[in-house]
Amino acid sequence: MRFACARVPFFAAAAAERAEPTLREHALAVVVGAPPGTRVAEANATAREYGVLPGMTESEARARCATLVTRAAGAEADTSARAALLDAALGVSPRVEDGGAGIVHVDVRGLERLVGDDAAIAARLARAAHAVGLPARVGVASTRTIARMATWRERARLTVIAPADEAAWLARAPLDALELEPALAATFGTWGIRTVGELGALPRSGLAMRLGEAGLQAHDHAHGCDRTPFRAYAPPPFWEEALGLDWELESLDALARVLGVVLDRLCARLRAAAVAADALTLELALVSGARHERTIALAYPLQDPAPLLTLVTLDLEAHPPAVAITRVAVSAHAVTARASQARLWHPPAPALRHLAGAVARLARLVGPDNVGSPLLTDSHRPDAFTLQSFQPSHGEEIREPSWSEPRETSSRPDVGATPDREQPARAQLALRRLRPPRRVEVETVDDRPVRVVWGGWRRIVQSAGPWRVSGEWWEEPWARDEWDVACGDGTLCRLARDRVTGAWWLDAVYD
Amino acid sequence: MDRLVRRGEITEIVGRLSSGRTSLFVACLADVTAAGGMAALVDADGAFDPRSAAHAGVVLERVLWVRGDGRRDAAVRATDVLVRCPGFALVALDFGELPPRLALTAAFRLKLAVRRSDVALVLVGCRRIAGAGASLAVATEPDGIEWGGPAGRPTRLARLHTRLSVARGRGAPCIPEERSWCA
Repeated sequence: MRFACARVPFFAAAAAERAEPTLREHALAVVVGAPPGTRVAEANATAREYGVLPGMTESEARARCATLVTRAAGAEADTSARAALLDAALGVSPRVEDGGAGIVHVDVRGLERLVGDDAAIAARLARAAHAVGLPARVGVASTRTIARMATWRERARLTVIAPADEAAWLARAPLDALELEPALAATFGTWGIRTVGELGALPRSGLAMRLGEAGLQAHDHAHGCDRTPFRAYAPPPFWEEALGLDWELESLDALARVLGVVLDRLCARLRAAAVAADALTLELALVSGARHERTIALAYPLQDPAPLLTLVTLDLEAHPPAVAITRVAVSAHAVTARASQARLWHPPAPALRHLAGAVARLARLVGPDNVGSPLLTDSHRPDAFTLQSFQPSHGEEIREPSWSEPRETSSRPDVGATPDREQPARAQLALRRLRPPRRVEVETVDDRPVRVVWGGWRRIVQSAGPWRVSGEWWEEPWARDEWDVACGDGTLCRLARDRVTGAWWLDAVYD
Repeated sequence: MDRLVRRGEITEIVGRLSSGRTSLFVACLADVTAAGGMAALVDADGAFDPRSAAHAGVVLERVLWVRGDGRRDAAVRATDVLVRCPGFALVALDFGELPPRLALTAAFRLKLAVRRSDVALVLVGCRRIAGAGASLAVATEPDGIEWGGPAGRPTRLARLHTRLSVARGRGAPCIPEERSWCA
C-alpha cells in the first residue's frame, strides 16, 4: 500500500489568500476575537519571517511587522478551501480521505501505470492543489501516518520515502512531527524524548501503564502504524463556493465582479476534479435579512467561468435582487465532463462556451420554449414533433448528400412515418406550416374542393386526395381527409377536413 | 448548394409563396447538415416543417430552431446573436410573407459579423431586404405543377417546378436555371 498526504501549511492564512489572491504579496495574519483582545490565529510565511506567530495579540504582531495585513477568521473561506483541496485530490485518485483542515490523504495504489512513480504522483497532487489556489506540501509513504509526518515542516515541497528507508527516516524525525497533544508532548519532553525513533523504542506496556490510550496511540504512530481505517471521501452533489462581504453590493456591475471571483474558484475546483456543472444555484444574502435564490439550468455541462458568468449575469438582469447584497454563494451540480473529439473531416461545431451563451440570449429573446432542436415524434398526427435542447454531437456518421438526384416516387410520402436515416435524401418539396391551422370555408362539388376562402375567394384549379389519416382512438381520437390543392393564383396548399366536425382547415402551404 | 451558400457571405432567396423558395432553402439546410455542419434557423413565423425537412435530408439534430412567434425584431436580433457565435456553418432567417424593413446599416453590420464568424447567412422571404449587404440574391418563380395519376383526375401531387434567376450577384455563380421538387 502507498499513500500520499497533501498538507497546506498555515491553512487558515492560505484559505484567506485563496479568497483574496492579492493577499499573497503581503504579510498576512488571520485574527480571532474582538478588539482590543484580538489575537493571531494563523500567519502566512511572510508574516512569520517578521516573527508574527499564532497566539500573539494583534498589537504585538503589528509591532513586529508594520505592514501586516489582518483578516478576520472566516468559516466560509476555510470550508471552501478544505473542499477545494479534497476536490483537487479527487482529480488524482478516486480514493481520498479528509485528514482535517488543510490535510488530505490519498490512496495512490495503482496510479503508477497511469501517472508514474511516487515522485510523479506527488508532483501531480501538488499541481492539482496549486490549481485550486492552495500551495501544498506532499509526502508519499507506505502509511498515512508516515506520509503525513513527511509533510510536517519538511523543507522539500515533495517528499517520497521508499519502504526500505522508512524505519531510518522515522528514527531521526523530530517528535513534533507526530503533532501530539501539548500535554503529552510536554510529558515526553520531560522524559528526554526528542525524536520519533526514541519514542518508538520505549516499551509499549510501560507506555500503556503510564499514559493509557494516548500513549499507545503515540507509540503506534511512532512506528508509522495507522490506527483508523481509511474513510473514503464522497463528494457532495453540489459544490459550493461562497464569499461573505464586509461591504454591501448595490449594483449589478459590482456583483458581477464578485461573482467572477467566486466562479473562478468554483471552476478551478471543477477542472481539478475533471467534472463540470450542469446547474448553478445562486444564493444572495440581502441586507434585509432575506435571501435571493436563482437556479440556472445549463444547456451543457460547463467548467469555464466566462460563459457561466454571462449566464448568471443575464439571469440576474432579468431577476434582480430587491436590495443590496452582503454575501454571495454559488453552488454547482457536478456531473462528469464528457470530452468531445472533433473529427478530422467534420466541419467545426460551435464551442460549448459560445453556444451556451448564445442559447441563453436566444431564450431571453424569444422564450425558452422556442429554442431547441426539432425531434419527430412517433405519431401519424400531422405536425407531430417536440423541441428538445440543442446538443450537437460529433459522434454521428456523415451522410453523403444526394439531394441533386430526384427519385421517382410512386405514392405520396407517408406523413406519419419517421424518415429512414439510411434512405438517401432527395429534392423534396417543403411545407410551410400554419401554426395553428387556419379555419377556412371550402366549397365542394362531388366531395371535391373547388373554391376556398383564404384572403378572399380562390378558385381551386386542381386537387388531389383525399388522403385519409386518423389515430389515437384510444385517447383523443382524430380523423381527417387531406387534400393537396392548387389555387388559381398558383398557390399550392394542403387542406384538411375534420371528419368528426366537418370543418375545413388550411394546414400548410407547399413552397 | 455550395454555390448558393457561401461562408462569410449573405445570400438571399426570394420568391412568392409556392415558388419553391423554402424547398431551395431546405435543400441548402440538408446539404450543410448532411455534411456534418451545424445550422441555425430563425423562423419568424414558426412555419418550418420538421417532417418534410427530414424527408429532404436535413439532419434535425444538427439544426438549432429558433421560433420568433411573428416578432420580426426579435428574429433579427436572434440572427445577430447567432452570426456572432462562431462554429455554425449556416444561419438562416426565414421572414416568410412579411419581411421587415432592414436598415442598410443593420444589413452591413450583419455582413461584417458574418464575415468575421465565417458563417453563411441565408435570408428567405418574399422580397429582398439586405440590399447591397447580400452578395448573392436568388429569385424563385413557379414553373408549373406536375400531378400524378390518370389524366384529368389526378390522385397525387408529383412535383413542383421552379425557375431560378440571379437577382443580385457579384461574381454570380453558375446556378441551375430550373429545379424540380418531389412531393
